[in-house]
Amino acid sequence: MLLRGLTWLVAFQLLGTVLNVLFLPMLPGPIIGMVLLFAGLLARGRASESLQLAASSLLRYLPLLLVPPAVGVMAYTEAILDDFWAIVGVLVISLLVSLVFTGWLMQTLIRRKQRQQEGA
Amino acid sequence: MIELHWQAAWEALIHHPLFGVAITLAVFQLAYAAYEKTRWVFLQPVLVSMMLIVGILLLCGIDYDEYRISAQWLTLLLGPATVALAVPLYLNLRRIRELFGPIVITLLVAGVFATALGMALAWAFGADDMILMTLAPKSVTSPIAMLVAEQIGGVVALAAVFVMITGVLGAICGPELLRRFGVQHPAARGIALGLTAHAVGTAQALQESDECGAFAALAMSLMGVMTAVLLPLVVALLL
Repeated sequence: MLLRGLTWLVAFQLLGTVLNVLFLPMLPGPIIGMVLLFAGLLARGRASESLQLAASSLLRYLPLLLVPPAVGVMAYTEAILDDFWAIVGVLVISLLVSLVFTGWLMQTLIRRKQRQQEGA
Repeated sequence: MIELHWQAAWEALIHHPLFGVAITLAVFQLAYAAYEKTRWVFLQPVLVSMMLIVGILLLCGIDYDEYRISAQWLTLLLGPATVALAVPLYLNLRRIRELFGPIVITLLVAGVFATALGMALAWAFGADDMILMTLAPKSVTSPIAMLVAEQIGGVVALAAVFVMITGVLGAICGPELLRRFGVQHPAARGIALGLTAHAVGTAQALQESDECGAFAALAMSLMGVMTAVLLPLVVALLL
């Protein structure tokens, strides 16, 4: 029942788009749809098999869906070359620093929590 | 005379509305097979497909707009795919609850830090506003990054490229870097990879262990939602 799950996903995306136009112009429609679906699953207490099937099938091909937008870079080669070093510097430095910082912070917090549980 | 017909057939082929879909499907499968076979991190299927398709389009003399219209058939599904992210998030709920405190704190502090650091660096390097807004959501999984970039005035296609570069870079350097800095806990490694290098980092984390991968997927989705909800709000308030 892939189709039933797919129908729900499309319905939530459309609902998100309606809400985006009516009340929340700063949030993209699909994001509103995702938050609503998550809230719906929480309220219902389970994810139906058809929904799980539809979601996992779509997410499996997510990389394929991302190819056409990525090809769009050919329309922006000039903008990239203009700011080439800024872009490379930002991407490399910020990734490396935040990656180490995130891992270190999470590990420190987990250890602190474990110590507290052992102490209690 | 025969020569003319060949020309017409060729034109009909490359300008058919399904031509873009056909090359995207074919090239992606090729790139994916190459990645599966070699498991070489530089052969990210999206990156390889993108380069091959740009090459084909340039060879055939098709401009991006024509390709974009043809490939709409595929890109339309990005919306429902974004909505579908709610499902794995819901299925991982029990794991979130176990380490609720550390996850929330790390996500808030490190997520804001990663985004702010990227934007501050871009500003310091003198990138213009359009590039700045495109760089802001770079740590997030592509569909969300692209949606957010569009909302705050960046370039959607560029955002996808920055996201891919960030992800590939994180998957290549991440595991070794984390090891050198003494981060061994699988949950911490997973969160770091998923939060900063999204889907590509998550794929890398899945190769380390199931636990590491689950936390990476979790960090990826939560960071995505947080960025999607907060970044457009913050930008709208500041500008």
